Amino acid sequence: MKILGIDTTTDVLNLAITINGVMSFDFMMKREGITHSAIMIPTLKNMLRLTEVKLNELEGIAVSIGPGSFTGLRIGLATAKGLAFSLSIPIAGVNALDSYALQWKELPGILCPIIRARKGEYYFTFYKKRKNNDDLIRIEDYQCIDWFGIKEKLFKFNESIFILGYGLTEIKENNETEQTPKNIHFIIREQEPPGAINVALIGEKKILKKEIDNIFDLSPFYIRKSAAEVKRDNQQNNIFNE
Amino acid sequence: MKTKMEEKIILAIETSCDETSVAIVKNGEKILSNIIASQIEIHKEYGGIVPEIASRQHMKYILVTCKEALEKAGVSLQEIDGIAVVNGPGLKGSLLVGLSFAKAIAFALNKPLIGVNHIEGHIYANFLDNKKIETPFISLIVSGGHTSLILVEEIGQHKILGSTRDDAAGEVFDKIAKYLDLGYPGGPIIEKIALNGEKNAIIFPRPLTKTSNLDFSFSGLKTAVIYFVREKIKIKEHLQIENICASFQQAVIDTLIHKTLSAANQYNIKNIVIGGGVAANESLRKAMLEAGKLNNIMVYFPSKVLCTDNAAMVGVVGYYKLTKGFSDSFYLDVFTG
Repeated sequence: MKILGIDTTTDVLNLAITINGVMSFDFMMKREGITHSAIMIPTLKNMLRLTEVKLNELEGIAVSIGPGSFTGLRIGLATAKGLAFSLSIPIAGVNALDSYALQWKELPGILCPIIRARKGEYYFTFYKKRKNNDDLIRIEDYQCIDWFGIKEKLFKFNESIFILGYGLTEIKENNETEQTPKNIHFIIREQEPPGAINVALIGEKKILKKEIDNIFDLSPFYIRKSAAEVKRDNQQNNIFNE
Repeated sequence: MKTKMEEKIILAIETSCDETSVAIVKNGEKILSNIIASQIEIHKEYGGIVPEIASRQHMKYILVTCKEALEKAGVSLQEIDGIAVVNGPGLKGSLLVGLSFAKAIAFALNKPLIGVNHIEGHIYANFLDNKKIETPFISLIVSGGHTSLILVEEIGQHKILGSTRDDAAGEVFDKIAKYLDLGYPGGPIIEKIALNGEKNAIIFPRPLTKTSNLDFSFSGLKTAVIYFVREKIKIKEHLQIENICASFQQAVIDTLIHKTLSAANQYNIKNIVIGGGVAANESLRKAMLEAGKLNNIMVYFPSKVLCTDNAAMVGVVGYYKLTKGFSDSFYLDVFTG
């Protein structure tokens, strides 16, 4: 099965092709002052040429639905929908936290990928390894709260737990201290690549299990309301309080 | 009679502002479908367009709008000869949804991709209803985002003669309506209230009408209206909202007509083509037609639905570009201003 993976959640455009669960091509590109939309199709075209995969041989489109840059993930999803709709092939939306955790599935313990949101908040959730199986299972909802809230949750685990993130120096510096429990480990890198490969691998599993997303309903994983909606809701609440 | 060989069917996409629209247009003149998912009701709550919400709505509706357009037209994707899409000017996040979607379809179907300027779309919306408009003509595009005078010497050959230096005409309608707490969008609201007012009750300025320059400026008019209202409030005089609306609207109309006729005279042009959301204003339509008659100039408007943002107008431009052998590369990007 040939799957195209699209990850536009970061400022790096990442496209990948997997063939029967194996990476065939992984392409990353970052260009200042140019949108992912401008280089998406030229990149895809080149990738297909180099892998000698024909467009009509693709059997599914897997796309990261975030969390991530709102504009970026809409470019990825609009492209994925246009391709899947025109080629009449299934589409699978993959949460960025899922694909991020999969990069680190070899680690012995609970995985906690963290992606920075806005206003001092972080997207995160927890995964553990299924017994006798390579698969990860998510053990909590996708959430978005501040670091103190996440810390409270971390301290409840007794087993080894790995915080996965990139660019989160504020978290690493303030917490790699003597007081931090020994079972909590930080794997925080300056720049973690996006995960189109893992998006494609997870997408392939979903498609094989017939867990195909409805192409019309699939939407970006915003978690948060837009700033304007939050402001409006607050105003409405104030009216009720008066 | 055209033979089937010459027929060109364009799938057109418009997501530049707050309408998600997909249309199927045949030969640049016949609308097979023109589906418009308007977000006005949503943005009303905020008193104006919120860019992030607009982008989210486009993402939500783009595919279903496309499917509906194809179904209503009774056309399959394979029968499409080209994909036309607005790539600017407009809101960046909104444009990117339409453009990314359009590129994916064009690439998957191996069809030409044609980027269309939103303002050009408004000009050529007239070709859908009026079909035969002789070039050269002067076009006035007037909406919430634009106020421009364009000389169209031949189809596809445009020269911008003047634009607004500050607010667009439709934008001033929105701002005055917001200031007077009348609601959003301001254009239709003020137009309705103005029906019961006296258009010459208050003489507001007609900005830049004393020069031969073809630029517009509406922020001074906006300030004049606001100062007028403040003064009345200060001296506790009753506000005659109807008269304020009617007189303000008339100031905008007079300015638009004066400038457009001035352009026609300067370039000795006998055809005027109007487009954009404000072109749906009934008082503007009447006054412009009358002014045209007096000056022996033909004045064209699209139907009201084609004045607002829609994809059918994009399909017209797409058709003309395609028949001239023009198409864009997949590197095409959006532009905002």
